[in-house]
Amino acid sequence: MSKTPLLILHAGALQHPMQRFAREFQNLFPEVEVRSESAGSRACARRLLEGRQVDIVALADPLIFDELLLPHPVQKYYIFATDQIVLTYHAPARGAESITAENWFEILLREDVSFIRSDENLDPCGYRTLMVWQLAEQHYGVPGLYQRLNAKCRSEQIYPKSLDLGSALLEGKADYAFQYLCEVKQFDLRYVTLPEEVNLSNPIFANLYTRATVEVEGKASGSKTVLTGEPIEFAIAIPVNSPQPEVAYEFLQLTLSAAGQRILDDCGLVAY
Amino acid sequence: MSERNETHEPTEADLRDLLAGHIEKMLWPTLLLLLEGKAAHGYELIHALHEMDTIEGDLDPATVYRNLRRMEEDGLVSSYWENGPAGPARRLYTLSERGEQALHLCAPLVSNRKDRLERFLQRYSAVRADNGKEKPTK
Repeated sequence: MSKTPLLILHAGALQHPMQRFAREFQNLFPEVEVRSESAGSRACARRLLEGRQVDIVALADPLIFDELLLPHPVQKYYIFATDQIVLTYHAPARGAESITAENWFEILLREDVSFIRSDENLDPCGYRTLMVWQLAEQHYGVPGLYQRLNAKCRSEQIYPKSLDLGSALLEGKADYAFQYLCEVKQFDLRYVTLPEEVNLSNPIFANLYTRATVEVEGKASGSKTVLTGEPIEFAIAIPVNSPQPEVAYEFLQLTLSAAGQRILDDCGLVAY
Repeated sequence: MSERNETHEPTEADLRDLLAGHIEKMLWPTLLLLLEGKAAHGYELIHALHEMDTIEGDLDPATVYRNLRRMEEDGLVSSYWENGPAGPARRLYTLSERGEQALHLCAPLVSNRKDRLERFLQRYSAVRADNGKEKPTK
């Protein structure tokens, strides 16, 4: 007898927890086969807008639901976790022996050092990285820092989603990357914790974060949208055209349960 | 979507013991106070904790959410998801009956701590005054 498929489309950053949820769910519902696909969250949203039907969609920014997916194909979404941007590196990174939360930008701007980020048009980690650079310019009082970092990180150093950055570091393609803390654990990377005024993690700095803005591609082809800095959050939903809404509901319940909170925490996220 | 985690029933002595370990940092007493009579999201609680400024140590989101979860496991708070028909939903925390009891037990524990800190300051002031008298005038 064939199994019931449950289709999940999720942000790459959520790969580890989604794999854990899938295993847990298949233990509870062995008649279901969970099929997952990941991309940058804005790329996920575009797939849904192009007519892709899935049972669960989990994204790295709730604003994408508001901006692109409400009221169709999503009506309601659950904001379920938070995280922070960190500067990740693999052991042989140049400058790693002396990098700190106070001097990281000086090391990144060294000629012999390279760093990577994800694409702001496809992935929230991409526009959040640009916001982090803007906030760093203010926080450290270094005029022009954002432009210098942006100019140094050329197109070949920009990846479709933040999860790709971890593999690139391990393959030695760059010294440093801007990623979510939850991704550090997946790749066993080292990292520098950035100040809370910069890393988009703490709601008490929400007003400060609004000083950072990034322009990205909008809903309509050729249009632009300006995004404003906010604390990082992740959200999950069942699209209205889910092929298996009852099964999707059970999966959603697992992700939002106490067991789900433990899985998210184990994976390095902060569960709500 | 709604979810309430199970609670157990500690005795008053258990509760007092449980709370005693959380008086120094003041996070649990302040969260209990902020939830008195009003459900709140973690996000709102972090803002309110920052404004009250009663906490010793870090006030990062991970600390607050993990303590809320511990408090839920200990039956002091319960949580559920907002049930609106559309738009964003967040987890809401409320004070349980046990949490209400814990809040009332916190008040004398905090008061005792305040008395001890005041005794320290009184002794410190006295020592300073004595030392001042003993110091030779230049």
